[in-house]
Amino acid sequence: MSTPAELTAPTVKENPSFEILYWVGCAASYDRRAQRVARAMVRLLRHAGVNFAILGKEEKCTGDSARRLGDEFLFQELATANIETLNKYHVKRIVAHCPHCVNALLKDYAQFGGHYEVVHHTQLLAELIRAGKLPAVAAADVNSGNAGAGDVTYHDPCYLARVNGIHEAPREVLATAIGGRSLCEMKRNRANTSCCGAGGGRMWMEEDPKQRVSTQRAGEALATGAKTVATGCPFCLTMMSDGVAANGAEARVLDIAELLVERLGLNPPAAPAPSAPATPASS
Amino acid sequence: MTPTRETFGNIPLSSQLAFYALAAASMAVFAWGVYRRWKLWRLGTSINARDLITGSLAAVWQKVRGGAKRVAIDAGAQQRVRGHGLGTVAHVSLYVGFMALFVGTVLLETDNVLSHLWHGLKFHQGAYYVAYEFTLDVLGLLFLLGTLFFLGRRLVKPPALGHRATDWYVLLGFLAIGVTGYLVEALRILWQQPTGLGAHCSPVGLWLAGWLHLGEAEARHSHFLVWWIHSFLVFAFIASIPFTRLFHFIAGPMHIFLAKNVLGVMPPVTMEEVEATGRVGPADIRHFSQQQLLSLDACMECGRCEEVCPAFATAKPLSPKRVVQDLKGAMEKTAAALAAGKESEVPALHEATIAAETLWSCTACNACVNTCPVRVDQLTFILTLRRHLVAEGGLSGTAATALRRMQSNGNPWGLPATERTAWTDALKPKS
Ligand code: SF4
Ligand code: SF4
Repeated sequence: MSTPAELTAPTVKENPSFEILYWVGCAASYDRRAQRVARAMVRLLRHAGVNFAILGKEEKCTGDSARRLGDEFLFQELATANIETLNKYHVKRIVAHCPHCVNALLKDYAQFGGHYEVVHHTQLLAELIRAGKLPAVAAADVNSGNAGAGDVTYHDPCYLARVNGIHEAPREVLATAIGGRSLCEMKRNRANTSCCGAGGGRMWMEEDPKQRVSTQRAGEALATGAKTVATGCPFCLTMMSDGVAANGAEARVLDIAELLVERLGLNPPAAPAPSAPATPASS
Repeated sequence: MTPTRETFGNIPLSSQLAFYALAAASMAVFAWGVYRRWKLWRLGTSINARDLITGSLAAVWQKVRGGAKRVAIDAGAQQRVRGHGLGTVAHVSLYVGFMALFVGTVLLETDNVLSHLWHGLKFHQGAYYVAYEFTLDVLGLLFLLGTLFFLGRRLVKPPALGHRATDWYVLLGFLAIGVTGYLVEALRILWQQPTGLGAHCSPVGLWLAGWLHLGEAEARHSHFLVWWIHSFLVFAFIASIPFTRLFHFIAGPMHIFLAKNVLGVMPPVTMEEVEATGRVGPADIRHFSQQQLLSLDACMECGRCEEVCPAFATAKPLSPKRVVQDLKGAMEKTAAALAAGKESEVPALHEATIAAETLWSCTACNACVNTCPVRVDQLTFILTLRRHLVAEGGLSGTAATALRRMQSNGNPWGLPATERTAWTDALKPKS
C-alpha cells in the first residue's frame, strides 16, 4: 500500500490520521463537469500539503434535496447513515465545495446529533492563502494567453452567501486567483444574491425554457461585461453554464477552485484546455 | 410667565367626560379586535408561550432577551425596514412622527392625572414644556410627510404591494389627524395669545395661526369644534387598528419577538409524531404553530418577498406573499367553519388553498425570509407543505426519480457507490 502522500485522494481507510475530511458530494462524484472541481480541489490541497481524506464509497448524499423536496424520512435515513460514518472515522473538521452539503452537514445534521466544524472550500483556500501555503505566482499571469480570460464576475450561491453568510472568503480567494483582473460585481450580490434556480430540489425538475431562473441570473452576470463567471457551488456551475448558453453568450463558467488552479499553473498538461467554453453538465 | 398651557383649555367639563368615555369605548373596540385575531392564532399548535414567563426573574430575562433585542432593533430602530429607498425614508419618518405623538400624548395624560392628584406634580411647563411642544410640533411634520408619500404610492399602486379599500381610510385618516392637530394648536394660540417662547416653541402652529384671521371668541369656538373632530378621528383610528393594515403595529412586533429566522434550518418530524397524528406535514391550518399563524397576521403585504422571489420573477405560479395571504384566508375560513360547528368545511391547505405547482416552484433560496420586515418565514410554510404532498404521493417526474435513486443508491444520479471515486482516476500519474 502506498503512503498517503502518494495517493491522489486518500480515503479515510487509507489515511486514518487525516486532519480534515473532504466531503466530495454527489455532484462532484458523478457529474462530469463537477468532477473537474473536485480534481482542482485535490490539486490545491496537495499543493498546500493539507492532510486530508475522503469517505470514498462510504459517502452518501447528504439528503439536502430530499429534505427540501419534502421527503423528510428519506433525508433522516441518509443523515443518520452519514453521521454514523463520520463518527466512525472520528471526523471533526469537514471541507465541502457544495454549499448545500455545507448547510446540511452544519445545520441539518446538528439536529440529529452530528456536530462538526464545516467549512466551504473557499474558506479553507482563503485560510491556506493567508498562511502562505498557496503562494500566488509572481506578477506575470501564467495564463494570460487564455482566450476569454477577461473580467470576472462572481455569482454568490444562496446557501453560501445568504444562508450561511460566507461571501468574503470566496472574494478573497478570487482576488488571488484572478491576479490583476478586476471583479465586476453584479447588482445583486452577497446576502442579496439571486438564486441560480437549482435549490430546493429544483435541480431535479424540468423547467420550461422560457421560465428558467438560470437564464435570468446568467443574464445579470453577463450584463457586467465579464467574460468569466466564477461560482462556488456545483449546482450554480450547471445552472450558470446553461444560462450563459441560453443567453447565446460565450463566457466561461468556473468554480473558484478551478480558477485558482489555473492561476497557480497546477493544471496537468493532459487536463481539458481551460479555455474551452464550459459545457453544460452531463446530468 | 412660565410657558405652559392648560391641558383641557377651552374644553368644558362635560366634553372632557365625554372624551374619556369615548377613549374607553375606542380602546374596548381595539381590545375586542385584537382578541378576535388572537383567537385565530390559537387554532395552531401550542408554542408554550407561558413557559416564557415562568421561573426566576433571571431565567425569564434569559428567555425573553433575544426577542426583546429583536423587537428593539428590527422594529424599534426600524432595521428590517431598511433598503427600500424612499419607501424606507417615508416609513421611518411616519414611524418617528407617530411614535413622538404617541409618547407625547402619554406624557401629557400622565401630567394631567398627576396634576389632578396633587397640584404641585404638574411638569408640563417651563423648559420641559418648550422642548416638548417644539419636538412634537416638528415631528408632526414627519408624520404628515410620511403619510403624503404613502398616499402618493397608493395612487401609483406598485404591483408587489397589496391594496385594500381600507388603506385609503387609514391614510386619509392620518392626514386628517395631522392637519386637525395643527389646527387645534393654531386656534389655541389664537385664543390663548401666548407670548415669547410660549408661542415660538410651536412654529408650525404659530405659522398656521398667522393665516387665520379670527378674533378670540371665534377662535375659542372653532378650537372647541376642531378639538372634537381631532379627538373623534384619533378614537376612530385606535378602534380601527385591529381591522386594517395598521394591525401590523401589534402583530409585527409580537411576531418579531417570537421568530428568529435562522436561515437554512427546517423543523424535524419524528416517527412518533406521525404515528400520533396519522399524517406527515400540515394538511389544514391547525397543523401550523401559533407562532406561524400569528405571522400570517403580521404580514402587511409590503410585497418585498415577492420582489426578490426568483420563481415569481420567472412567471412561475409562486409568490411568497400570496402563499402567506392565502394561508391567512384559510385561517379565517377555518375559524368560521369551526365556529359554525362545521368541521367538514375546514379548508384543505392543498389544492383548495395552495396548488401543488406553487409549492414545487420554490427554489428554497431564502430571499423571501431574509427580506421580510416582520420575519415571516414563508419558506418553512412552503417546505413543510411539500412534506404532506410527498407523503400523499404527490411528487412525480424527474424529481421523484431523483428521490428514488437517493433511496436505492445513496445519490440522485442513481449510480453505484463503487463508482463514487471514479473521478480520482484522472488524477493518477499515467504509468
Ligand atoms: S411576508 Fe413579509 S415581505 Fe412578504 S409581503 Fe408579507 S410582510 Fe412583506
Ligand atoms: S425561498 Fe422560495 S418563495 Fe422564497 S424567494 Fe426563494 S423561491 Fe421564492
